Amino acid sequence: MKARSGSRLLEVKDLQVSFQGIKTVNALSGISFSIGESETLALVGETGCGKSVAAHAIMRLLPPESRMNGVVEFRGKNLLELSEKEMTEIRGKEIGIIFQNPSLALNPVYSIGHQLAEPLRIHRKEKKEKALARAAGALKDMGFANAAEYIHYYPSWCSGGMNQRFLIAASTMLDPSLLIADEPGKGLDRKCVSELEAELKKLKVEKKTALLLISHDLAFVQRLADRVAVMYAGEIVEIADSSSLFENPLHPYSRGLLNSLPEKGFIPIPGFSPPLSSPPSGCRFHPRCPLRKKQCVETHPYLIETDGRAVRCFLYP
Amino acid sequence: MSGIARKVIRYLASLVLIIILNFTIPRLMPGDPVKNLIGEDVYVSENVMEELRTELGLDRPLYEQLESFLSDLLHLDLGYSYHLHAPVAEILLDRMGWTLLFVGVSVVFGALLGSLPGALAGWRPEKRTCRITGLAFITLSCTPPYFLALLFLYFFSFRLGLFPSKGFYDSPEIWSILHHLFLPICVMSVFSASRNFLIMRGSVIQEKKQLYALYARAKGLNDTGILFRHVIKNASLPIITLLALDFGFLFSGALFIEIIFSLNGIGTLIYGAIMGKDYPLLQGAFLVIALTALLANMLADLLYALIDPRVRRPV
Amino acid sequence: MSPEAAHNEGSCITESCTGSCPEGQQKDSVFRFKFPEASLKKSRKRDDFLGQLNCGGIFLFAFFFFMALFPSLLAPCNPEERFLPYEAPSRDHLLGTNDIGNDILSELVYGARISMTVGFAASLVSTLIGTIIGLCSGYFRGTLDELLMGFTDVVLIIPKIPLIIVLGAYLRPSIWILVPVLGLLSWESTARVTRSKTLQLREAGYVKSARCMGFSSRHIMGSDILPNIYHVLLPKFMLATASAMISEASLSFLGLSDISMKSWGSMLSFAFFRGGFIQDMWWWYMPPGICITLCVISIALIGFGFETKQEEYAVDGEL
Repeated sequence: MKARSGSRLLEVKDLQVSFQGIKTVNALSGISFSIGESETLALVGETGCGKSVAAHAIMRLLPPESRMNGVVEFRGKNLLELSEKEMTEIRGKEIGIIFQNPSLALNPVYSIGHQLAEPLRIHRKEKKEKALARAAGALKDMGFANAAEYIHYYPSWCSGGMNQRFLIAASTMLDPSLLIADEPGKGLDRKCVSELEAELKKLKVEKKTALLLISHDLAFVQRLADRVAVMYAGEIVEIADSSSLFENPLHPYSRGLLNSLPEKGFIPIPGFSPPLSSPPSGCRFHPRCPLRKKQCVETHPYLIETDGRAVRCFLYP
Repeated sequence: MSGIARKVIRYLASLVLIIILNFTIPRLMPGDPVKNLIGEDVYVSENVMEELRTELGLDRPLYEQLESFLSDLLHLDLGYSYHLHAPVAEILLDRMGWTLLFVGVSVVFGALLGSLPGALAGWRPEKRTCRITGLAFITLSCTPPYFLALLFLYFFSFRLGLFPSKGFYDSPEIWSILHHLFLPICVMSVFSASRNFLIMRGSVIQEKKQLYALYARAKGLNDTGILFRHVIKNASLPIITLLALDFGFLFSGALFIEIIFSLNGIGTLIYGAIMGKDYPLLQGAFLVIALTALLANMLADLLYALIDPRVRRPV
Repeated sequence: MSPEAAHNEGSCITESCTGSCPEGQQKDSVFRFKFPEASLKKSRKRDDFLGQLNCGGIFLFAFFFFMALFPSLLAPCNPEERFLPYEAPSRDHLLGTNDIGNDILSELVYGARISMTVGFAASLVSTLIGTIIGLCSGYFRGTLDELLMGFTDVVLIIPKIPLIIVLGAYLRPSIWILVPVLGLLSWESTARVTRSKTLQLREAGYVKSARCMGFSSRHIMGSDILPNIYHVLLPKFMLATASAMISEASLSFLGLSDISMKSWGSMLSFAFFRGGFIQDMWWWYMPPGICITLCVISIALIGFGFETKQEEYAVDGEL
């Protein structure tokens, strides 16, 4: 599904990821999406649908027993074909990532300043003092009044919300054109989540960073994302822009997700998401779909584009 | 209760325990307390025994004895060795320096020798070299230290004649000392290195799975960068704690090595004391060794607090 | 039980390591990918190597165990019998004779029994004490926990071998003293590990429901928590045995072990102090040393094998 505005920054074509083990697990069975410059795309879905895998696959951070197929084009280069050395040039500089659980993503034995300055020292080979000064500047920009003090603090001395903002600062130190946020609001209270939202909005507006937002918090997504892709069991089942999706969800799963929100009635989708090692036949959602037909059990639907959106369902041939 | 207060209490308690142990052991042991306090195989006549009994205060109530014991301690009087005819403190001081020297050097060498290969082995545990090194170190750590010393002595000293087999030095020059101490330090370092290797390896294996290691990679660090900039510092924390314990362990091992290499340190002293049942000397030695171990622990704790900010609080 | 818990103990082989791992490393919720651990080929290779090690360890251990149980089958003669002293290896005496004239090979075989018995007995004592202290400390928490752990820390600092030396010098060396003393001084790491596991298990659903149902603490500890700790206790027990055997060897070297029972350490001691080393009689001092090393390695490998198996189970449960 093509992005709306500008040139395509990131284009993922038919990305497949599997893990070898005692059983082979197909975490992603061919997903395709694209992100334009300064655009925010959100990946939503239940736990275990493969959202994080997609994020890590793009940055080639998956463990060595993973197998990846497909194309991940970033500014024209296929990231899956680059050598590890070339990849280290891109990570942190052109694509940044922030993880859930920020207190664990930051190294406990180094100060905040040191870790913020690290991308500068590695990629731009800057001197320590200069890098630390820039790190302090970045913290000030974020709104920390006594940035000079925080530079010398350690992650274990700060709260989760603060650590999340430090993490964002560290990941955006070199002004990457794409920032991947893997469930950034997980485990944070509401105040922190709204601070986080403000931060991400600022990045979008001021630094024009494209954002790949991975979350299962639909309200959060609605406020931030331009377009939304809904994933289920390792596939994308619907892509649309944010307003269209939230007003009029097409795929039964998207409808079910929205219905499960507290304000819409809190109606859960019956059943559990299938194990990725043995997905259901045909349409993967059919065991839990209230509108299933015989066709859904036997044949696997394709992602069909209509009218600026795409849906993977036999209801919309 | 803050962390520091807790630690201080712990050390004080250990100190008290050590002193109490030192005080009560000779008085609780079966046999004549006078003999227990002056050593057996010392021939003394009956009246001298009586004199000693009063002198040692055995006819006074227990708390008075404890008092005098403590005051003696504060004056650094550890008793008198009737076998060697000298105050225990003097004898110990004399020989202690050597043992401390070679244990100290071995601890440092062992830490370096074991940590680096251990870190590399933990980073890539499947590599052939790492496995072989691992096996070698496991074997070494399972060998009784004195047996290792025996083997070293046999091969390098007797067979190959490369190193002398006795004493600390032929002449009090630095070269001679180094020559003599080389083998013992080698043995102790190898032994300490094997423990450090295994721990570092396990520690690195754990740490490299942590999220910060993944995040470091996401920032654009390559393998070497992640290992040496991030993982190692975290992984070496257990090693520091271990250094203190190691010190106590190595000290004990040093006793045996000194016996094997006929070095005139505390080890041979203690062995002589065991054979001759020179109890005052044994007790004094135990006290000194235990206090050294306590000090080593305190130092390790301090070092740990300096390195790991998680146990500190913002100023 | 979460795999993080299994990994918290670390996969180091020396028992002192786990005992001294700082509290900060025992994280309660470590972010982990829910990915299977190793690729098929790699896991086979790794399993192979570990499997080989484990098999080797078990085989070796079985050999020594057999030697300890049925010495008369392996030893050519009675170790008390006297022949010509200081003899070199010959057809009659495969390992020669010692200074009194006993056949060294027979002594070696009979020595297995002593060394291993002392090792296992001391380890049993220390594991028992450590488990009980760890269980109580982890289950009851609060002041009792602080006291017990403080006590553990204090005992940890006291150097064992010098203390045993002092005690051994006073008391007549006998196996009945050696075993309890060795056991009483090495329970710290078992206590620590048991405590941390108990702390985790205490929050498990079935324990909570047992408490709600009003079962006595002793019952809960015995039937709910203890069975789930076995797989952690087993490697600790093996490693404690290995450590106890080395300690026993060291003490007998100094002559502080039972004189009536000749363990491998005592043989080494006699070899060294009665002129065996100076006279280059490798057949006297090498075999006992090698036996100790091999036996300890076999026990350590088995303990190591238990630890890795425990890890595998913990990881397999996740997918």
